[in-house]
Order: sequence, then structure tokens, then C-alpha cells
Amino acid sequence: MIPVQHFLLLGALLFSLGVYGVLSRRNAVLIILSVELMLQAVNINLVAFAVYLAPDEFVGLIFALFVIAVAAAEVGLALAIALRLFRNRTTANVDEVDSLRW
Amino acid sequence: MTGVGEVAAFWILATITVGSAVVVALVRDLVRAVVALVGSFLGVAGLFILLSAEFLAVVQVLIYAGAISILMVFAIALTPRSARDNAETAMRWLALALALAMVGLLIAVATVTEWGPQAKEGFQETASAIGEALLNRYVLPFEVASVLLLAAMLGAVVMVRED
Amino acid sequence: MRWDWSLLAPEYLLAGWAALMALLGLWGRLRAYWLGYVAAAGALASAATSLIWLGDRTAFGDLLAVDHYTTFFRVTFGLIAASVCLISAGYVERFLRHHGEYYAILVVSVIGATYMAAAQELLSAYIALELLSFSLYVLASYAKMDLRSNEGGLKYMLLGAFSSALFLYGLGLIYAVTKTTHYQGIAEALAGDLGGTKGLALLGLSLIVVGLGFKVSAVPFHMWAPDAYEGAPLPVTAFISAISKAAGFALFLKLMVQAFLPLHDDWSPLLASLATVTMLLGNLVAVHQRNIKRLLAYSSIGQVGYLLAGIAALSPETANAASAVLLHLAGYVISNLAAFACVTVYYNWTGKEDIYEYRGLAERAPFVALALSISLFSLAGMPLFAGFVTKFVLFQAIAEADLLWLAAVAVFASFVSLYYYLMVMRQMYLVEPETRERLGVAWPEYGLVAVLVVAIFVVGLGPQPLFNAAQEAASLVYQGAATFAALSP
Repeated sequence: MIPVQHFLLLGALLFSLGVYGVLSRRNAVLIILSVELMLQAVNINLVAFAVYLAPDEFVGLIFALFVIAVAAAEVGLALAIALRLFRNRTTANVDEVDSLRW
Repeated sequence: MTGVGEVAAFWILATITVGSAVVVALVRDLVRAVVALVGSFLGVAGLFILLSAEFLAVVQVLIYAGAISILMVFAIALTPRSARDNAETAMRWLALALALAMVGLLIAVATVTEWGPQAKEGFQETASAIGEALLNRYVLPFEVASVLLLAAMLGAVVMVRED
Repeated sequence: MRWDWSLLAPEYLLAGWAALMALLGLWGRLRAYWLGYVAAAGALASAATSLIWLGDRTAFGDLLAVDHYTTFFRVTFGLIAASVCLISAGYVERFLRHHGEYYAILVVSVIGATYMAAAQELLSAYIALELLSFSLYVLASYAKMDLRSNEGGLKYMLLGAFSSALFLYGLGLIYAVTKTTHYQGIAEALAGDLGGTKGLALLGLSLIVVGLGFKVSAVPFHMWAPDAYEGAPLPVTAFISAISKAAGFALFLKLMVQAFLPLHDDWSPLLASLATVTMLLGNLVAVHQRNIKRLLAYSSIGQVGYLLAGIAALSPETANAASAVLLHLAGYVISNLAAFACVTVYYNWTGKEDIYEYRGLAERAPFVALALSISLFSLAGMPLFAGFVTKFVLFQAIAEADLLWLAAVAVFASFVSLYYYLMVMRQMYLVEPETRERLGVAWPEYGLVAVLVVAIFVVGLGPQPLFNAAQEAASLVYQGAATFAALSP
């Protein structure tokens, strides 16, 4: 049997890669991809914990389903806003478009 | 699935998932990043099967690997200039330090933690159990999620409409 | 499990009203101006409906509590939405498109805010949080031909998604430790012997705090706020500054009291330090702002600092700090909405939002200048005004919780805030105007501003009713931690 720590470590790796991507990228689409990586990590954790630690109270699985649904809507909406931005100005880089000061 | 086969499957799937994730986090070409992300999604779906959460694995393949990635490819294709100048920000090294600190912390905590009894063996996930929980115990989040999807749809339509 | 669906009536009303707004926008022959009034009526009706359960203590299964706390926030959110609809009426007709959808999304977001306050378990709280956030992302980028709005909205959305992921990861770790998502169950598990899982619990808790810190724009997680505030259409800025703070703190407070109070000694220093940097940075950076929206953005970050300090001062023994947080939240919302209503009226006339362009406003529109000064004084916490009473009670609660230094920082930050509010007033009263031409009268907006200004004085001079309501709501949250199990079927 694979111990639950393995899944936790896998999740930690994915999550940190996502964090790195979000903070280091400039392109909005790439940032969205990195957020998806973070959500993958969340789902691995939730499912592994539900299966290993709380099999009677498997709310972790339900939670993962909701995360997937919300993530899908999130991607749709974020891409819609990004598309609007691309059309108004032909760049997709979040720090370049910055006409707003700190 | 028990024993050696299970362990081997875990390591293969983990390698696929993390390997693709590294590509997603580093590559500059948008389409390649999306394709790598699909690889990562499929790896996670495999892990779900390994965890005997088959229904979630199916949902994962359908929604993530199917719908979301197609949506992304479309968005990229619709914006011809979106793929240019994808260099990293000046925060790159800070981001790297933060990510490394985070992974170190998580690994440290995960190894220190004493896990209680792990009861994977008896676990049987079925679609009917999930369906019942969704429409019974967690019916309210289910309804709110539908309102959320409606709001997101309305918003997306308003955003991209041309008039 | 049996469900009492009638408990959700105010939200049915909101959902139905949202559908009505979208349909009116598509096929109605109503002028856009009137859509705002119809939407405001819906929000008010929902707030009124929620009064049916005044004093009741029931629950929707084990998912939501319908008690004084929920009612307090249902009324607050309803009134916020109604005010923002009224503020929007003139602005939206002039500057935005797709009016029906605008009001539909605005009304729907109140459902999310309400369930954030009412939730008794993390799944409902999470989905409600996302409903509110999604609506705000859309509204923030609603001026879709305006590049600033696109950028602000996109930044808000990306950082919002990032913070949700952090929140979720933390929540997963808490689930691993406690094996449940119900606040009560979490508290019970955390109160027991954690053994070797304490580190995991603390890590999860910190990630949850960071995620919520993004949502309420606490420093150093505030970088989206000034951009989103400046880019968003003005009424939306008012809405974000009021409802995202109010709902965020409704969730934050309940979570801390009902789920994480057993770990109080561990998270209190973390929140105290967050509060300190938030108060100081928010108020100090506000001094340099030239745009009134950015000024109000940073000032509201400062206010978040006070509220965080109040949460750091929570204690297992008394509900004083919790009720003080609720009271100050209400005072802040009223004052802030009044300020934004004035700013919007001026923008509708002139299209200007830089502070130096407010010069001589006292001569050109004395009522607006006076009302704006009153609301800024209230935000600064001057005596007579709502802000003084609520801040006084809050700072007192902080000092009583053995956090005297934190209260001192808060008082210092308040003085800094008085300085930049006075700079705005100097422009309005002491600088010569460009022209002496009187600006017109915007009756509906004037009516709203008058109501809000009266509310500032009512709370400032006779705070007892609001104080009692806050206290009752707060004490119920505390008792709720104990009695909820008995109520749920």
C-alpha cells in the first residue's frame, strides 16, 4: 500500500510549481495554467485524505468535484476577460499592460 | 491492484504528472504549455483511479483534459499576439525562493506529521454514493454552484460580446 | 435529512430578482435609470424578508445557521446592494453597457455574501466565496472598452484565483487533521490532543489566513486592490470596498471563532502582525495618492487593518472583540458608501476623479462637499460621527485583550488617516475653484447621500441599537459553537 505521505508530497511539488508559475509569469494565460496546477495539487490532497483518513466522511471527494466545477468556470471567465483585454490592446502580459501605478 | 504493480503505477503516474507540471511552469510557448498541462491532468486522473476514486477520474478527464484544455487552445488561437513576449517577470528569483521554501516546509511538515490509521483498504467509491451526497447532504452547495455557473456564464457573455 | 427550504426565502427572492433584471435588460422598455431602482427594491425586499427570522435560532441542515448573525449580515448586505444600485443608476446609464446583466450580477453576488456569513461548514463557505468573487471579477471589468477596467479586473481575477487555491490547499490540510469540514467538528478535533499533527494544522490555518487575507486585501496581499479599485467603474468600486470586506470578515470571524478558537494562542500573533503592517502601510501609502479612488482604496486597506486587529484580539472568554468587529464593520460600510456616493455624483457631473480637481467644490456644490467631509471625518474616526464610536469600541476591545501596543498602533494610524482626509477637505473648502458655476442637483443620489449621512450621525450619537445588534450576533456565534450540534437534525 502506498502511504498517504507520498500523495501529500506529490501535491506539495505540484502546488509549489504552480506558485512559482503564478509569481514568475507575465502572460495571463500562463498564469491561469499555473493556477490550474495548484488546483490539481489541492484535488490530489483532498481525494487522498478522503480515501485514506476519512473513508466514512468522504466529503473530500465531493469537495474535489466542486473544485473542478469552479475551476472550469474560472478558466472560462478569466479567458473572457483576458480576450477582451487582448482585443483592446494587443498584448497579454500583465505587467506590460500596466498603466496603473503602484 | 496491490503490491508491486500499485507502487510502480504510482511512480510512473507521479513522474508524468510532475514532469508535465515542470514543463508547464517553465516553457514559454503557450500551446506547448497547454499540451503539457493536459499530460498533467491525465496523470492526476490516473492517480485518482489508483486511489479508487473512479468517478472523479472520469470527471477529471472529461472536464479538465477535455473541455478546459480545448477552451484554452481556442483562446490562444483567437488572440494571435498573445503568444509573444512570454518572458518571466523580475520577480522570478523571489518566486523561485518562495516556491522552494514552500515545498521545503510542506515536505518537512509531512514527514514530521504522525499519521493515524490509514484505512484505504475498505474504501469503495461509487457514483451513486457521490450522487446521493450531492443531492442530499450537500444539496445547498450544489444549488449555489449552479447559480455560480450562471453568473460566470452571464459575465463571460457580457465580456466578449462585440456590441 | 429533512430540509426547511423556507429558511432560504431571502435568497430565492434575490435569485428571482436577478433573473428579472436580466430579462428586463433584454426585453424591457424600461430606461436604464429605472433598472437601478427596481434592483434596489429587490435588495431591500430581501433584507426585509430576512427580518422574519429576527431572534430565531434555526439551521438549514448542518450547512447553514439562520440566527442573529446571519440576519445581521443579510440586512447589511441587502442595504449595501440597495445603496450601490442607487449609486449606480445614473452612472451605469451614462457610462456602461448591458445594464440588465449588470444589476443581475450585482444582485446575485449578495447570495454568495450571505452564505459566506451563514455557512457552518467549509464546502458551503467556499462555494459562496467563489460566487461573490466571480461576480466581483465581472463587475470590476464591466467597463469593457476601458483598458484600465480590463486590467484591474484581470489582475483581480488572477490574484483571486491564486488566493482561492491557497485557501483550498490550507483547507485540505485542515481536513486531513480533523477529518471533517464542519466548523464545530474542526473545533472539537483541534481542542483534543493533536499529537504529531499540530504542525500540519498550523500550516493549513496559515494558508487559510493568507487566502482570506487576499480576499479582504490585507497587506502584503493587497496588490490587486488599488488597481482593481481604480480600474473598476465607480459604483463597483464602492461595492467591492463594502461587500467584499463585510462578507470576507463575516466568514473570517465566524471561522476563527467557531472552528479555530482552540488554536487561538498560535494564530493571534500572526494576525496581530498582519494587522500592524496593514494599518501602517495602508494609511501611509494613502498619503501619496492623487486619485480619489486610489486614496479610498488605501484608506479601506487601513480599515481592514483595524478589523484584523480586532480579530487578533478575539478570546475564548468574551465576545467583546467579536461584537466590536461587527460594529466597526457596519460603521465603516456606512461611511464608505456615503463617501463613494458623493464621489460618484461628482464624477457623473464632471468625469473627474483626481483629488486636485475637487478644488472649490464647497462653492460649486455645497451639499456634496459637506456630505463628503462628514463621511471622511467618520472614516477618520472623529467624535460625533459613526466612525468615532465604532473605532472607540474596537480599540477598547483590542486594548482589553492585552494588546495595548496594537491599539496604540491603531490610534497612530488613525491620526495619519486624518491627515490625508483633511487634504481632500482642504481642496474642497480652501482652494479657489476653477469656475464658480454651480453644479446641478442630482435628486435620487442626494436622497441616498442624505440617508447615509443621517445614518452616520445616528450611529455616532446613539450607537446603542446597533451596538446591541452586534453584541447579540457576536454572542450567538460564540454560543453557536456550543449549541449548534443540538440544533442540527
